[in-house]
Amino acid sequence: MGQPCGRTDRKVTMSLPAKLQEIVDDFASMTREDKLDTLIAYAETFPPLPDWLKDKRDRMEPVPECMTPVFLFGEKQPDGGIHFYFDIPPQSPTVRGLATILANGLNGSTPEEVLSVPADFYQPMNLQEAVSSQRLNGFHGVLAHMKQEAVRLLEKPSE
Amino acid sequence: MTYAHPEYLVETEWVAAHSEDPKVRILESDEDPLLYSIGHIPGALQVDWFSTLQHPLRRDFLTREQFEELASELGISNETTVVFYGDKSNWFACYALWLFQYYGHQNLKIMNGGRLKWEKENRPLVKEVPSYQKTTYRAKEPDKSIRAFRDEVLRHSNDRKPLVDVRSPKEYTGELLHMPNYPQEGATRGGHIPGAVNIPWAMAVNEADSTFKSADELRTLYEDRDIKPDGDVVAYCRIGERSSLTWFVLKYLLGYPNVRNYDGSWTEWGNLVDAPIEK
Repeated sequence: MGQPCGRTDRKVTMSLPAKLQEIVDDFASMTREDKLDTLIAYAETFPPLPDWLKDKRDRMEPVPECMTPVFLFGEKQPDGGIHFYFDIPPQSPTVRGLATILANGLNGSTPEEVLSVPADFYQPMNLQEAVSSQRLNGFHGVLAHMKQEAVRLLEKPSE
Repeated sequence: MTYAHPEYLVETEWVAAHSEDPKVRILESDEDPLLYSIGHIPGALQVDWFSTLQHPLRRDFLTREQFEELASELGISNETTVVFYGDKSNWFACYALWLFQYYGHQNLKIMNGGRLKWEKENRPLVKEVPSYQKTTYRAKEPDKSIRAFRDEVLRHSNDRKPLVDVRSPKEYTGELLHMPNYPQEGATRGGHIPGAVNIPWAMAVNEADSTFKSADELRTLYEDRDIKPDGDVVAYCRIGERSSLTWFVLKYLLGYPNVRNYDGSWTEWGNLVDAPIEK
């Protein structure tokens, strides 16, 4: 990841997973209108909940920080990476868009990588010019609960 | 009993029939502003409660001049009938209507049921953003009779005049400082303004299709809790958006002559030094 003076044998906790870093960089250089359009595009690619998770909200991690009912679930893949699933109503495109950013940026990352994402990683995206502060708080909350899932998967011995 | 001012309410059929009427402007005002881009009523334009209707610097609404500029950009003349609709049972649609009323616009309406009902009826939603010719708009002096400021609310509370707190019961009792979802806009103290009764805003709408409850149901809802037509009523919530729905119901559906919305609401009161609070 081009850390100029990082020692390779030590974990550099400041670095984001490459895909997430790419999204952060993209947003950082966008105008407000482009940010809104991109967020809409993300909302429109929000993946449907797989059948095996339908009506399984009791098994999923709730995100009470969000204004809308948001539930998420992390599943450990054979290669050790996590795949995140979200249950968010279509009436909340902003939250769907923000969740898709996190899913696209973090799917495939290991629990350790998810846990090392700084809580304020999105500051350079300057989202507050496009999204209200309470919704950014929801974004914050979604990441925090993805980390809860990462902790759960970390503690669980891999099958 | 029928609504006191039925002319302030239109049904979805009416809006569908007037979407190309040049004398009518349809405005969407949502809690989630991306909804408009995902799909809106044909011919509708968007106003966002924060980025369009609020003053860019101070905690206040657009100034009169800024409001005139906005109306002009939306192609609204002083004669245009303006219809508002939105998500969340028309919360933010009522908030936008309240501001238009504040600046003296005549012919304002809420589309009963908002986005939810329109969607449930499988009516068309489009992505095309229409453009209308700019107009010259003259706003009136702000109508202070529909807006309450903190010092007035303090006197109101001291005089034990009718106050309605339309937040959720847990916000009213002070157990929560905000709705579970709005931590950034909280207050340093919890509770309610002394003398306020708690009538959550959502009790005025039907959950199934977001339409307003009948006039009889509404009258019982408020009068049973001592919010009477002859009272000088002030409604508040957290930032004044939920209480603009209650203001709309009391003022136009029930016809109470004196109803004000305290838009400073709990995010002002709960941070105000020396303000009395009850729990």
